[in-house]
Amino acid sequence: MKRRGREFVLAAVLGAILLAMAGWAPAFFEPAPLRSLLTREAPALVVACGMALVILTRQIDISVGSQFSVCSVAAGLLAAAGWPLGLVLPVAAGCGALLGALNGILVAGLGLPSIVVTLGTMVALRQGLNLARQGEFVNLPDGVQWFGLSQSAGQAVLLVSALLVLVGLALALRYLAAGRQVYAVGSDAEAARLAGIRPRVVTLAVFTLLGLLCGIAAVMNIVQSPQVQPLAGSGLELKVIAAVVVGGVAISGGRGSLWGVLTGLVLLACIPPALTHLHIEAYWEKAIQGAIILLAATAEGVRRRKERH
Amino acid sequence: MIALMPKAKGNAYFLSCKTGADRAARELNVELLFDGPVDTNAAKQNEIVENWITLGVDAIAVSAENKEGLSTALRKARKAGITVVAFDSDVQPDARSFFVNQATPEGIGQTLMDEAARLMDGEGEFAIITATLTAANQREWMKHIEARLAEKYPRLKLVAVRPSDDLKDKAQSEATALMSAYPNLKLLMAICSPGVPGAAEAVQQAGKAGRVKVIGLGLPNENRRYVKAGVTDSVILWNTGDLGYLTVYAAAAATRGELKAGAKTFRAGELGELRLAGDHILLGRPFIFNRGNIDRFDF
Repeated sequence: MKRRGREFVLAAVLGAILLAMAGWAPAFFEPAPLRSLLTREAPALVVACGMALVILTRQIDISVGSQFSVCSVAAGLLAAAGWPLGLVLPVAAGCGALLGALNGILVAGLGLPSIVVTLGTMVALRQGLNLARQGEFVNLPDGVQWFGLSQSAGQAVLLVSALLVLVGLALALRYLAAGRQVYAVGSDAEAARLAGIRPRVVTLAVFTLLGLLCGIAAVMNIVQSPQVQPLAGSGLELKVIAAVVVGGVAISGGRGSLWGVLTGLVLLACIPPALTHLHIEAYWEKAIQGAIILLAATAEGVRRRKERH
Repeated sequence: MIALMPKAKGNAYFLSCKTGADRAARELNVELLFDGPVDTNAAKQNEIVENWITLGVDAIAVSAENKEGLSTALRKARKAGITVVAFDSDVQPDARSFFVNQATPEGIGQTLMDEAARLMDGEGEFAIITATLTAANQREWMKHIEARLAEKYPRLKLVAVRPSDDLKDKAQSEATALMSAYPNLKLLMAICSPGVPGAAEAVQQAGKAGRVKVIGLGLPNENRRYVKAGVTDSVILWNTGDLGYLTVYAAAAATRGELKAGAKTFRAGELGELRLAGDHILLGRPFIFNRGNIDRFDF
């Protein structure tokens, strides 16, 4: 119960907001717009799951937005060249995995700080993409949007896929040896090494997995509209890191769950539409999201102080 | 001989400027050089200006990638007796004689508001999607939109202004929420270019094409499919062909001494009599791309 305390508090806050919306602005729950908004967040959930794993190992990756953009444009160009989505998906995922592995090699292999490495790859990938595309949209052929299905079927596929990634990874973290190694490396890399775990391999693996998930998320994004904007992933790193932190994953590693990440993402994502429904000026949006992040960080700080005493 | 330099020579926007420039050059019977960096590259622009000085062209017209950097090279060109005008993106005022100004914030704001009022039959609710609430150009446009609204359209109501961070996907989410929060919404106006297709996609997915109209400031290619599908009604920008046309006319007239500092008006071929504000030659009201004309433009 105590270990799950954060998730309960978070779920209660989200529940309170949703109840308030039901009272003041019931139109917030209109199914069609709500489904559209949630589907728009599905790719971010997939990236946030990967980010949670990286943060659990006490690392961070701020290049996810750029990886996502590169994979989106690559996937878009392939789809525009007539490749079937069944081929585009593995290629995009592979492209993401390569970019993630590059971060992983620099961090785990050379022992460089992940914030510096991924700051470098974030800027390099973004600028490279700007140079290559000059901001020009990729126009997709008919039949790519919603995988060629109806809109509601396509949305259902995306939502279910994102939840499958979440559930799959959550189960793996809990029940697989590899999952427990992620926590072990994040809690105490030296102790983990003495216990026979290879922290560098685990670190490389989580960065690669995050890249792969960025590639999958990119495809989940491009099928939602007939055009790919090269800027698509910009700011994604802030969004998913915020979701992970608000979700109760300790930035110092080793503690947290993916269920919290899901709640954190939904909580942050429902702020902008909630403000629109309550007719509150958009100036408050970032302020409220920032306050939520600060509250989460404070709660984490208080918890750690208590632990030490 | 007139030399015209875009920010990037393969860019569709500048290629469409070139079609107008070519037409003007034929009418005026002058030779037109068109060269620029392959991709936006400020240093390469300087290099090309240096070459043109050596070549001894009569006039240079530029769209600057880097204002300060290019100004130095252009001052040198002016010293060598070459007429310099800027178009699209200005340089330092002392580095050129005239700037061909494609659109004033006032013209953009008024055209957007007038077009919105026309599509809404003069009454009802509309919402605006911006890039950010604080960006200088967005605030400037907002100021003119709101002034026009207050002055001419008392029965139109601006119900919300939402930022999209220049992201098409965020604009789509904002538009989705706006339509459900304001069920009587008649029109979405996006004043940043990714916002226009973002809003249109939201309207399309909500099945409200025609009931909620979409207009905005953007590029024809990014909006073509929505304009042709009847989701987006009007895309507002300047006519790039006219911009190139006017630039060549201005460069030629300034070289021949027919266009002098202090002039109040300037006659540019088929564009007729245009106004000057100081040393800015004004292209005039922005251009409205719609279902009827969008296929004539490719940028």
